[in-house]
Amino acid sequence: MGNQPANSVDKAKDAPKDSGQVKRFRIDLFEKIPFLKKFCKWRSFQFLAVFPNLVIFLFFLYAGLFGSRVGNRNIIIIFVWIFWWFLLITFMVPFASRIWCVLCPFPFFGEWFQRRALIKVRSGKTGGLRNKMFGLNKKWPKALSNIWLQDIGFLALCTFSALFLTRPIISVVVLGGLFLVATVLAFFYRQRAFCMYVCPVSGFQGLYAMTSMIELRAVDPQVCRKECKTKNCLTGSEKGWGCPWYQYVGKMERNNYCGLCMECVKSCPNDNISVFARPFCGDTQVKGYDESWKAFIMLALAMVYAVTLLGPWGTIRDWANIAEVRNWKGLGIYAGIIWFTALIAIPAVWALASWLGKLLAGVRSISTKEIFVKYSYMLVPLGLLAWIAFSFPLIMVNGSYIISVISDPLGWGWDLLGTADVAWRPILPEYTVYLQILLLLFGLFFALKRGYDISLTLYQDKSQAVRSIIPTGVVCAVIIFAFLRLFTG
Amino acid sequence: MKARLVILGIVIVLVCALIPPLVASSSSGGGEKKEFFIKARQYAYDPPRITVNKGDELHIRLASLDVVHGFFLEGHDIDAQIEPGVRQFKLRHPSEGKEFTDVNEVVFTVEHTGKFRYRCSHTCGTLHPFMQGELIVCPNYPFLAASGGTVGVLISTLLVIFLAGKKHKDAMPGGDAQ
Repeated sequence: MGNQPANSVDKAKDAPKDSGQVKRFRIDLFEKIPFLKKFCKWRSFQFLAVFPNLVIFLFFLYAGLFGSRVGNRNIIIIFVWIFWWFLLITFMVPFASRIWCVLCPFPFFGEWFQRRALIKVRSGKTGGLRNKMFGLNKKWPKALSNIWLQDIGFLALCTFSALFLTRPIISVVVLGGLFLVATVLAFFYRQRAFCMYVCPVSGFQGLYAMTSMIELRAVDPQVCRKECKTKNCLTGSEKGWGCPWYQYVGKMERNNYCGLCMECVKSCPNDNISVFARPFCGDTQVKGYDESWKAFIMLALAMVYAVTLLGPWGTIRDWANIAEVRNWKGLGIYAGIIWFTALIAIPAVWALASWLGKLLAGVRSISTKEIFVKYSYMLVPLGLLAWIAFSFPLIMVNGSYIISVISDPLGWGWDLLGTADVAWRPILPEYTVYLQILLLLFGLFFALKRGYDISLTLYQDKSQAVRSIIPTGVVCAVIIFAFLRLFTG
Repeated sequence: MKARLVILGIVIVLVCALIPPLVASSSSGGGEKKEFFIKARQYAYDPPRITVNKGDELHIRLASLDVVHGFFLEGHDIDAQIEPGVRQFKLRHPSEGKEFTDVNEVVFTVEHTGKFRYRCSHTCGTLHPFMQGELIVCPNYPFLAASGGTVGVLISTLLVIFLAGKKHKDAMPGGDAQ
């Protein structure tokens, strides 16, 4: 605004343009719970976690292929899109980071092909790794070494979500297709290229894992940087595979790309890696436009889902329901609105707010781009809490289907546990709105609080920092108001 | 000092959350008889949204335009089953038992304010779990309070972090924040 103190520009130049990391207390869970460390170091740990899940997943595919065509009578729909989704977004991501990646069956066969082992480790040399790996082990193309594929893939997938969320056979096509792509890519590209750059679930998990209340980190990063010459966490050793996610724990300061496979815990020669408990929103650093757009896309999709699946408007549901209604013009409008909102409208509003924030702060040396990208973190807690607010009604209203479908998973008239005839009954649906209000206001608070923490990494003067987040803060409040209107208004 | 600022923040949120409901409560309506004819089709109700006042007596008739649908009204212990081409529909109160009785209309007085969804309770097709409409009972206190609360969270968080920064800055030698 031009009325800042004369030295503010210099201050800003000297401002710590560091990682944007908010340092807070953390508790070493391996130290507090020795069994956990022992368990994570156990070589069978990941196989035992993922194998039952693989069996269940294959059964779901079978159910999708041969079971009832009615979604709420088929286990693949009820367990994947209601139960799993609810657990993932409400508990796993905020409380346990990317723990789902430990359990995920998608990379099972691909990883086995690369390692030719389910439990043991193969020493040897493959590229820069100290493990013997099979397959072509090509490097992923540099131009695609970001999460743009995941951004666009997830947006494209969700444009047709009304189809696969409700039709078992389409769920099989989507889930089976991802399973196949993960396996095929493992033949060509090294380690978990699919998880890192392609998997649509991985993209938003990585973004929202920044809020998680646990992290895997070096106990003392200086030990990694100064004493460790081998970097076994990244390259592997006879005790563990090199990080499938290409992460070097010594410099890892975000949860985004750590799949919690615990191979680094096994291979670290200095016993310097642990899992820590920490406060909500511990990582506050968005790096690059691809991650910013992931935040915009997730927010837009939360809103679209709230309108389409929880709203009263049948016309919009008809547009999305192309398989039955066959209104191609409607689908075009629906898809156009989603893509425009996610890729253009929200980013444009955010860019305007960032520019206004720069004006209000009155510091020219900090670019609008930097403000735009860094402050887009504010949409991470906001988006996550909006998704949680969206997901609670799903489980509270449709939860009783879980009880009935578990007795009759294929909709063939079985009654395995005597619960097949449990009638549909929502659980206190009239109180859902109060829960949603609390969640959304909590999300807004964290967006503003962490936005301020980030602004302090840009501006040394605290009043400049506060002024700079006012426009983006107002945008966040408007977004929350829009969700409140949809859920409670 | 920090505790005082936190308390100040909470007070601001609460005040902002209380103002809209208090203002809305002064303009009271209700007590009228209101009739609605709700038509169900795959996967929507028409009208999708009905707005009434607390205390109104609602007379709702139901019809299905295609297949058998349900009408479960949240928070009102009402569950109906609507068959296409039939003037009457089946009604039950889930808390009282499972028997349906044939009726021409469902009559009840709305006693609680807020948003209550009416949902299809009879599997009617692929998008059945998402077939719903909305009954808005005014004044919609939860929404009004939440809207005020949103403004409150925005103002209080920015104000508190500003004041916390200012106090900190004032307390530093030379007034430098660092």
